[in-house]
Amino acid sequence: MVRPPRALWTSFPLGRPLGVADDPAFQTDVLRSALRLLETAHAPIIADYPHDAPDLVDGSVWACAVELPEPNLSDLEAALRTEVDLLRPWYEESRRRRGRTTVGISGAAPEQIDAVVSFVIACAEGAGFADVPADAVGPSWQHPMPILLRHVVEDLRAYYQEAVAARPGTRPPTQREMHSWIFQETALGRALIEIGHCIAEIGDRPLLMMRGFIIPEGFWADGPSWGAAAREAEPQQSPQDFFRYAQAYLAGEQVID
Amino acid sequence: MVRLNDLHPEEAHHMRNMGQRFAQLELPPDAWVTPPPLSEATVALVTSAGLHRRDDPPFRFGDYAYRLIPRDVDPAELVQAHVSVNFDRTHFQRDVNVVLPLDRIRELHASGEVGGVSAWHFSVMGANPTPTRLAPAALDMAQRMRELGVDCAMLTPV
Repeated sequence: MVRPPRALWTSFPLGRPLGVADDPAFQTDVLRSALRLLETAHAPIIADYPHDAPDLVDGSVWACAVELPEPNLSDLEAALRTEVDLLRPWYEESRRRRGRTTVGISGAAPEQIDAVVSFVIACAEGAGFADVPADAVGPSWQHPMPILLRHVVEDLRAYYQEAVAARPGTRPPTQREMHSWIFQETALGRALIEIGHCIAEIGDRPLLMMRGFIIPEGFWADGPSWGAAAREAEPQQSPQDFFRYAQAYLAGEQVID
Repeated sequence: MVRLNDLHPEEAHHMRNMGQRFAQLELPPDAWVTPPPLSEATVALVTSAGLHRRDDPPFRFGDYAYRLIPRDVDPAELVQAHVSVNFDRTHFQRDVNVVLPLDRIRELHASGEVGGVSAWHFSVMGANPTPTRLAPAALDMAQRMRELGVDCAMLTPV
């Protein structure tokens, strides 16, 4: 947001403007605090909301309650398919309990998650990023390559996240805890790192940006994940110009110069 | 907006850069309209979470258009096109209200605190590197809000 007339600053993690899920009282307090500025402010204002999100002051340590085998890295595809199969009952339980799923932004229906796995594995094994992998058949993909990869990965990540949050006896993980679990303990994390290496090998700057779309900062061992350093290597190009160039590249509209 | 100290240093650096660039944008003077009392005002929600119904055209990368969300939308119909590994989607996956507080605003209306809830709400993509390019969509949304009898827009940034 750029200069709204009345704003309520909150300390919540990005992506959670109302603070915390499944806490109507807290959400209402945030919403009410913002709306009341309509009656109390007499000039443009940024007011501070005084409370942190309640789930962040818990202090407990989350551990995934779904037992997955240690990934066999010599057969990444088999390891990833094993994980997806083991998580499937919990994903279905989450979907039943919540009455919804957020899987599907790539164009793959939740029932087509196996095609999503084929997609990710093909990219991790060096199929490149110019075309949809030949094995990833079935879904009506909603985006062009290479940006489609981002949505495919997010669908698979959502599948994992919704599944592990459905297991009873544990509080839901934070995003950071999910990242740590995925990248330290799962074949999915290993596959994403392999994709990151394939991107680094090609080295196109928009693709380095794509790496940051699928690997969070702090989980790429060789430095910044999203390639900000690569972008800054060409100071004559403004961020806006780079973004326009990257946008066309990632939408498959322009080959690398 | 999270404290920069709570972000990974690379992300915090990115946010600082964005803030510095946005501070240089040439913008019109601050808009200031005094609405009717909240108990008489109709509220529309606007989110930059990239929410849309599954049947809507998906947001593209660098999309500066908007999507409409009906007041009585089934949450199962909503997906979030604005995705990032650097923000927390797990809460949206559990509860749409953490991004688009439709249940909460309806409750405030039912209790009389808010005068009305717009029949339609609005969604754009977040993390736009050039927010001024949203101006045509913003003007169109404002026109629609006027037609819907909306007095104030509640923005939830993602």
